[in-house]
Amino acid sequence: MPSGPPPALETTVLTKSYGDLVALAPLDLSIPDGQRVVLVGHNGSGKTTLLRMVAGLLEPTSGRATVFGHPAGSMEARATLSYLPDNPVLYDDLSVLEHIEFTCRLHGAEDWEDRAAGLLHDLGLARRAEDLPSRFSRGLRQKTAILLGLVRPFGLLVVDEPFVGLDPQGRDAFIELLDDAASAGATIVVATHQLEYVQKVDRCVALRDGELVFDGPPGEVDVLALVGY
Amino acid sequence: MRRRSADDPALDALADLHRARRARRVANIDFFEALYRAYLTAILAGVALWLGSGLVGGSRMGAAAAASVEAHGAPAVGLAVALVLAVGLRSGGQGGPLALEAADVRHVLLAPIDRSAALRPQAWKQLRSGVVAAAGTGALLGLLAYRRLPGNVAPWIACGGAVAALAVLGGYGLAFVASGLRIGRRAGTLLALAVIGWAAADYATGLTTSPMTLLGDLALWPLRLRAAGTAGILLPVVAALVGLAVVGGTSVEDAERRSSLVGQLRFAATLRDLRTVVVLRRQLAQEVPRQRPWLKLPGRYAAPAAPAAPAAPAAIGAADGAGTGDSRSRPQRNLFPAWRRGWQGILRFPALRLGRLVALGVLAGLAELGVWRGTTPLLFAAGLALYLAALDAVEPVAQEADHPDRRDAYSIEAGDLYLRQAVPSIVVMTVVGLCGAGAAALAGGSFLGFEVGAVMAVPAAVGAVAAGLMSTVQGPPAVFNSSDTLMPPEMAGIRNLLRTVIPPAVAMIGALPVLAGRHPHSGLSHLAATTSVLPEVLFAGVVALGWVRYHDRMTGWWRQSMEEAQVTRRPSPHTPS
Repeated sequence: MPSGPPPALETTVLTKSYGDLVALAPLDLSIPDGQRVVLVGHNGSGKTTLLRMVAGLLEPTSGRATVFGHPAGSMEARATLSYLPDNPVLYDDLSVLEHIEFTCRLHGAEDWEDRAAGLLHDLGLARRAEDLPSRFSRGLRQKTAILLGLVRPFGLLVVDEPFVGLDPQGRDAFIELLDDAASAGATIVVATHQLEYVQKVDRCVALRDGELVFDGPPGEVDVLALVGY
Repeated sequence: MRRRSADDPALDALADLHRARRARRVANIDFFEALYRAYLTAILAGVALWLGSGLVGGSRMGAAAAASVEAHGAPAVGLAVALVLAVGLRSGGQGGPLALEAADVRHVLLAPIDRSAALRPQAWKQLRSGVVAAAGTGALLGLLAYRRLPGNVAPWIACGGAVAALAVLGGYGLAFVASGLRIGRRAGTLLALAVIGWAAADYATGLTTSPMTLLGDLALWPLRLRAAGTAGILLPVVAALVGLAVVGGTSVEDAERRSSLVGQLRFAATLRDLRTVVVLRRQLAQEVPRQRPWLKLPGRYAAPAAPAAPAAPAAIGAADGAGTGDSRSRPQRNLFPAWRRGWQGILRFPALRLGRLVALGVLAGLAELGVWRGTTPLLFAAGLALYLAALDAVEPVAQEADHPDRRDAYSIEAGDLYLRQAVPSIVVMTVVGLCGAGAAALAGGSFLGFEVGAVMAVPAAVGAVAAGLMSTVQGPPAVFNSSDTLMPPEMAGIRNLLRTVIPPAVAMIGALPVLAGRHPHSGLSHLAATTSVLPEVLFAGVVALGWVRYHDRMTGWWRQSMEEAQVTRRPSPHTPS
């Protein structure tokens, strides 16, 4: 039996349903370490449900998900998975810098100051570092959440609709940061409707009505037509 | 990009965060504001004490009555303790009672940190606040008990405070155990029912078998000292210790769902926005309408085979009077769409809500039985139970009030629509009243209880539905309302108070006939005496429904008058300064 390094993300008949409603039909998926994957599908297709189960925010109805071989939501999985949600949730009374410090200390990050300064600059937040994000616009709050997701150590980055609310500069900066993270060896899983991003990844996973309808290289078939865009 | 292995620094970071935020909050406290709040609290506590003293009376009970309290008091207190424990178990089954900030769920619970260590301080904080508040309330009840019962004041206050604190300690403890072990909603409800059933069995048999009754014994120590009562302390203390130990197992999914709802719930409660409180509480309990109705109404609105054009909003109003109906698929007259819509909503009530309606009806019936037997203050309990049931029963109307844009698109005045949709709610509340009548007859051992309850059912239902509609239709109090700017603050305060007090008072009117029935005069039978005041009660309900009918017109007129008054007070640009 071959035994290699565990995949960055693996799901085994992972299912989520709410009563009669099946949000995610049994899903088997394996994403090796270092791969860049995009998750596409129309609203209600199960993308967010899948990502939230992988992040440990939702409990599966059945099946399991593992992160580098550890059960999703376990302390080991939380240590290596960074989840960027579609709606930024931040403390009302902490500045951006205080958020950064708190996040880095929670995750045991070392030498985070330089990395934080670089991210603040890249995302155009350097001059707002002392401000409270609770007074920011939606886009700036999204950038703050992105910063917090990237400043901590991670091996798997899971991102849900990251481009919502970002201006073109912010979008470009974020795509560059994703490229940097991938170059550094991280596995990236991005759920998005941003069609141009699909061409930048190694693999495309398409969902429709909670079911897997495509899993392969993005150029292989007309995935977008398949999921109903 | 891998993290280094270190767990304690994360907990240190969390402790530092809490410390810094607490210091910031303390620095931001306006001490004059805090003193003013303390002053208001003291006044309110004084008023509560005065009202409570008035209700229980000041004269000492006779020896026979005191002996009866001594004999039956412990299981009665045990039943109250069981209710507290049951609330805890139900809450724990739904992932409560922890109320975390949404940011804590996202940042702390998703960090590689020991969740037990991270959640325990929050759990301890909630436990401490609850226990302190309960001890104060219990001490107050002990003081009220002292006014009627033999014994010294200090033991009554001490025992009242201790038992209430232990009950809440146990409630929180069991809740943390239930959520930490993720027993689930169904098991939480079953355990809650088992706890209540156990205490009720003690009450019915007069035996002391449950820890709840032992705590009841403790509450009555000023009357009779029973060492066994101390054993009652064990359950709450053990539950709290185990709860704090396992609280880290709380589901993150539940914690996240609650984090968004609990904050809104507190805000709505602060504003006394009852409708929002009801809606959020249902969301918290995951109480959603049934996918399929209990009973499908005969097929006027059967889904068309092909996509049909949306019906004009005017159809609801027009069809009630003139009748237009769904002419595309079925060219029939549709006479009562508003009633039909009401029934469609009611027939999708989840089992939990139906159970709650029946339970509140039974509670109202038992309280009325208590009034019949001489405990007049139970009238408040009966009225309150009917009012709470009505808040559920008027759901179809509340759906219209919640969406004013959609409602205003109908070609029918809002008040008219509310009244038409109230009819199914009155039917539901009549059934609730009959449940109460049945419970009163069973508990009282006399068919007269059912007869009295049955003749009261319709007027009480009208009053309760009117009360529920008043609460729902008046909406939340406007925080910045231009119509209030000309009103002196005292008047605005009184107005807000009346908004809160009048609806339950209207519901209480429906429970009043039992007072006339218990002491019949001029040769009337109990039933005839009860029936004799029903027209007045019905009239009060109809007046309240009239208020609902014309509420929008009245508030519109008032707002317009206030705006006109503001315009005339504003200095003209041509007026020399």
